[in-house]
Amino acid sequence: MRQVKALILTGFGLNCDNETALAFELAGAQSHRVHINAVIAGKVRLSDFHILAFGGGFSWGDDHGAGVIQAVKLKNHIGEDLLSFVAAGKLVIGICNGFQALVNLGLLPGLDKEYTRRSVAITYNDCGSFRDQWVHLTAAPKSPCVFTKGIQAAEFPVRHGEGKFIADPDVVSALFANRQVVFQYADENAHPAEGVFPLNPNGSVQDIAGICDPTGKVFGLMPHPEAYNHVTNHPDWTRHKQMQKRLNKPFDTKDTSGIQLFRNGVDYIRERFF
Amino acid sequence: MYTIETALKQELRDAEASALIKKAGTYFCIPVQSARSIHLVTIEADLTKDDLERVQKEIFTNPVTRISSLAPLDISFDWCIWIGFRPGVKDNPGDTAMEAVADLLGRPFKPDEGIYTSRRYCLKGADLTRQDVEKIAQELLSNPIIQRYKIFSRDQWDPKKGADVKPARVILDHIPCFDFIDIASDQTLSQISDQRNLALNARDIPIIRNYFLDPGVLAQRRKMGLSKPTDVELEYISQARSDHCNHNTFNGIFRYMDVLSGEKTIENSLFKTYIQQPTLALKEKKDWVVSVLWDNAGVGEFDEQNNYVVTGETHNSPSNMEAYGGAITGIVGVYRDPMGTGLGSRLFMGSFGFCVGDITYDGPLKPPLHPRRLLDGVVEGVKDGGNKSGVPTTFGQTLFDAGYMGKSLVFVTALGIMPKQVAGRPSHEKKTSPGDLIIMSGGRVGKDGIHGVTASSESYSENTPAGHVQIGDPYTQKKMHDFLLVCRDEGLIQFITDNGGGGLSSSIGETAMISNGCLVHLDRVPLKYEGLDMWEIWVSESQERMTIAVTPADLDRFMALSKEHGVESTVIGEYTDSGKLHITYKEKTCAYVDMDLLDKGFPAWEFDAVWLPPETRGLFEPVIRAPKDFNALMTAMLARPNICSKEWIIRQYDHEVQGGSVIKPLVGVNRNIPSDASVTRPVLTSKKGLAFSQTLLPWYSKIDAYHMMTCTIDEAVRRLIAVGGSFAHIGGVDNFCWPNIAYDARTNPDGTFKAAQLVRACRALKDACVAYEIPLLSGKDSMYVDGHLEGAFGERVKVSALETVQFSATSVIADVVRCQTLDPKAAGDYIYVAGITKNELGASEYYDMFGKTGRNVPQVIFAANKILYKAVEKAICLEIPASCHGVARGGIGVHLALMTMAGGLGMDIDLSCVPSDAQDLPDEVLLFSESAGRFLLTMAPDQALVFEKLCRGLAVRRVGTVTTQNDSLKIKGIQGDSIVDLSGKALADAFNKPFGDMI
Repeated sequence: MRQVKALILTGFGLNCDNETALAFELAGAQSHRVHINAVIAGKVRLSDFHILAFGGGFSWGDDHGAGVIQAVKLKNHIGEDLLSFVAAGKLVIGICNGFQALVNLGLLPGLDKEYTRRSVAITYNDCGSFRDQWVHLTAAPKSPCVFTKGIQAAEFPVRHGEGKFIADPDVVSALFANRQVVFQYADENAHPAEGVFPLNPNGSVQDIAGICDPTGKVFGLMPHPEAYNHVTNHPDWTRHKQMQKRLNKPFDTKDTSGIQLFRNGVDYIRERFF
Repeated sequence: MYTIETALKQELRDAEASALIKKAGTYFCIPVQSARSIHLVTIEADLTKDDLERVQKEIFTNPVTRISSLAPLDISFDWCIWIGFRPGVKDNPGDTAMEAVADLLGRPFKPDEGIYTSRRYCLKGADLTRQDVEKIAQELLSNPIIQRYKIFSRDQWDPKKGADVKPARVILDHIPCFDFIDIASDQTLSQISDQRNLALNARDIPIIRNYFLDPGVLAQRRKMGLSKPTDVELEYISQARSDHCNHNTFNGIFRYMDVLSGEKTIENSLFKTYIQQPTLALKEKKDWVVSVLWDNAGVGEFDEQNNYVVTGETHNSPSNMEAYGGAITGIVGVYRDPMGTGLGSRLFMGSFGFCVGDITYDGPLKPPLHPRRLLDGVVEGVKDGGNKSGVPTTFGQTLFDAGYMGKSLVFVTALGIMPKQVAGRPSHEKKTSPGDLIIMSGGRVGKDGIHGVTASSESYSENTPAGHVQIGDPYTQKKMHDFLLVCRDEGLIQFITDNGGGGLSSSIGETAMISNGCLVHLDRVPLKYEGLDMWEIWVSESQERMTIAVTPADLDRFMALSKEHGVESTVIGEYTDSGKLHITYKEKTCAYVDMDLLDKGFPAWEFDAVWLPPETRGLFEPVIRAPKDFNALMTAMLARPNICSKEWIIRQYDHEVQGGSVIKPLVGVNRNIPSDASVTRPVLTSKKGLAFSQTLLPWYSKIDAYHMMTCTIDEAVRRLIAVGGSFAHIGGVDNFCWPNIAYDARTNPDGTFKAAQLVRACRALKDACVAYEIPLLSGKDSMYVDGHLEGAFGERVKVSALETVQFSATSVIADVVRCQTLDPKAAGDYIYVAGITKNELGASEYYDMFGKTGRNVPQVIFAANKILYKAVEKAICLEIPASCHGVARGGIGVHLALMTMAGGLGMDIDLSCVPSDAQDLPDEVLLFSESAGRFLLTMAPDQALVFEKLCRGLAVRRVGTVTTQNDSLKIKGIQGDSIVDLSGKALADAFNKPFGDMI
């Protein structure tokens, strides 16, 4: 059987590569963790892969705006390769620092299929500091995003100091009109947070937590789906388990919504490319 | 030279400026009406106009969020403060900017070029005075040790010149050299030691002189062109003999005497007797103990394929003077220990412990940093250091006591995981062999951190040099960590250790003992700037460096990987079997001493230790009659700084990166109650988990450090058991922080007492570890936690910290889905208390509230607790309880309140059912006694029978019932009257009151 191959970038302060690789493996792909310099040097070619993951971390220490230097370096060295990858209809996912890199590269939001323009930004949290907390997300039902197919709501952790999504009002309107707003921060009933802290942990406009390009194949989000790779990652899992026990039901330890998100991507590749 | 100024667009929220306004208001009542922050990037390099614009636009100016200019930004202000680093202070953003610019333009920076970052704050406020602005600059924004500031009023500002930033380049107009040291007499050497800050011990001086005056030694040295010792050699000896590196205190001789019993004992080495001997005995008994007592960290078995690694450190002295820099250097530094354990492990978690003075202190003493500012700084330092290392900070505690104003404590702990076998070799074994190349990887060497180990082996005084304060660089280290793991897996590493205290002097000096010699070329060591003397290169503690032994055959591959990972690695010498530590600079020998020099009979340190039992010190139980308002008492207890919520700290720390989080540091329906322990899956494909807990109970040292130690260990174990840990596998790490124990009639009159406290704590350590079968996987000591603080009249008052031990404990969990948390989960469940409550309020939080100490310090009954702990472990393994929580500081009362909040459910409690050792314990004792060995558990009624059967014969009793979410915490006193009735909201309001607005 042919393998869906996912490339997870590593190096220069990125740090979620192991669990992102694991998440893709659990979702049925073959994961390759590859150093950014190996891609730049041409030792590993993007075109040999189906999915490209920009993972979480602190690339270049986030010193001059999160994801900025990573974006400049990649654009400078392999900008064309990235555009060809996207043009080939393959999948790109950016999580946290990866999302920040995608918006600085211009691969997101890709309005009018213009993949080099910076038109949105992800900046400092309103609360003024880094936050690690789990958030409720509501997914846009008609979004073209291939990763969130069949997902209406999800819970993942956010872990960032710069997660506030901002853009000009007309850009935001366009994103909603194109259904490019994939995830919004929400309350436990999947109703958008309406800016209320800490449901919306960073002050993002319109509670935006993740967006895709108009094709739905380039996807970026601040929360970490790969950090929900096991039932015991969820902050309430001991309570869930106890409730199941009271109902005489076994505790289901199979898929999490985190892995489901990656599986959607892998399945899409299988359907379209194999 | 160019300076690019950038700022967030005016319509965007400037969180940095908002924080400044808030702190100026709350800390100093200075009314800043508005503020904006400006980032300055000063580029000292010849760039073309096009290149400069490209750099400005692409790297420094996000078109969506920022404005920028090559001239000072025209942002109006009443006052402007500029803050920049002093030359030589690590400027992390400056370094990444250089890397980015060099990559973008495809031109490397020349040695005399550089990029420097600084900040400017534009403040508005009609009533702001220069004095106000000075205070903000000095006490909020900058620390003179590492930073400079300038203040501009509106009138003083030249819009063209702006802040007039000069590059913070280090220029040492100095030709590197080495000196010969006069050893004509002991007195001469002693004087030179003082002048050069060598901190040589007076009793070591004759030994040193004897060595260098030995005719045989002289003859050999003459062949190398040497005679009298060089400064490089004496620095080497000074580092190696420092208390930090050599643990002279723990290896010293103690003449212990108990004034009451008349007991007299000679302790020949606390380390050997109370740490090494029991741990080695346990290693024989416990298969899971892999490697202890020699490497950078201890090693235990995790599963069939992997071992875990654990160690703990403190970084007190530097944090005391520059809190952010000290703390970030501390955590990034301790992370190098697992990287340098065995052939290198992958970090998978870390933790913190902060002990600081009263953050609301407004008395006359002037610590180098106010406790409030110090806490802000260390919190941020561990945040940046931990988060940017990509290592989850899964556990941590913060506590307050006036004694820590003399010297604050910053504990940092690191855990790693490594495959048992790498490239066909056991990963926990390593050696250096003659012919192996000595490679230094990571950061470069500068003047920073010189004499760090000798400074940390002293009390803080006005003369403490600031040069040992550094700023850690997690980015550089993360790159190096990634790189070294690849090298390890390819089998390229023969030996690895980190450069921490003592720099190359320690790392090479110690590793060359194994091959029995080395030849080091100091001129090959890459420097941050020219002009360092040889001894400075040798002992500099510049961070983020590892020393690695690589065979010549593997060199090319090692260097290729180093380049790919953007890590600098340099061959600086080779290991030999010459028996000599041989150091050269440009082919000229500057050190040539025998590898076994340090075994030449240096004398052990000696201490008198006089134990004054509590009854001889006038300690009595205070007379406090029964309180009448228990509701108010309970909420007052919950709002005490050492009990209340510190969620604002924990939330800033990424505690789930790497994807293995099972039990988080905060649990409960509102995810804000500190959990007993954390559980992490370091191997994501395994069902197993690593449980980790830490305990600090320094208050009990006010009565007897023996019981402080046993209670601390008992609580650490209890915490592990509460989440599902296994009693059969408990690893320990002891971190001692002790005030000076060397008696001096004038400067340390109670030194003998503190020495006796240390002896007692060590005895307790062994007693507890033997009883609970805990091998000490790692441990460290920091012996000078005192400060001499200036008071109102220019006097200096010595303030000593409580005798403190942080004990960390690890356990391996067979299947993480059997773990449990402390939150009650369903109404109608039964509530049990396990373990006996006694009248043990001595040094409790309850007494502390009334300013009392008492004498009835909690005492641990190991045998009884062991049986109970095993029963609770079994119950959790059988999935009987729905929640389990160890009772800790504050007693049952406080911990019932925490469980009530965590479950979001009510609790009905009958205190008369609480198992106790006496019939007549009053309500306040039952609620707030801190007796060791107790748990609170809840479970479904249908589990009660089997649980009670399991606990037959043990002090376990049902004390009440979990009620619904609309109910409150209701406690019935021993007379049958309702004494507490507090809603979850009332509890939460109290719990969150002190720090709730810190976010």
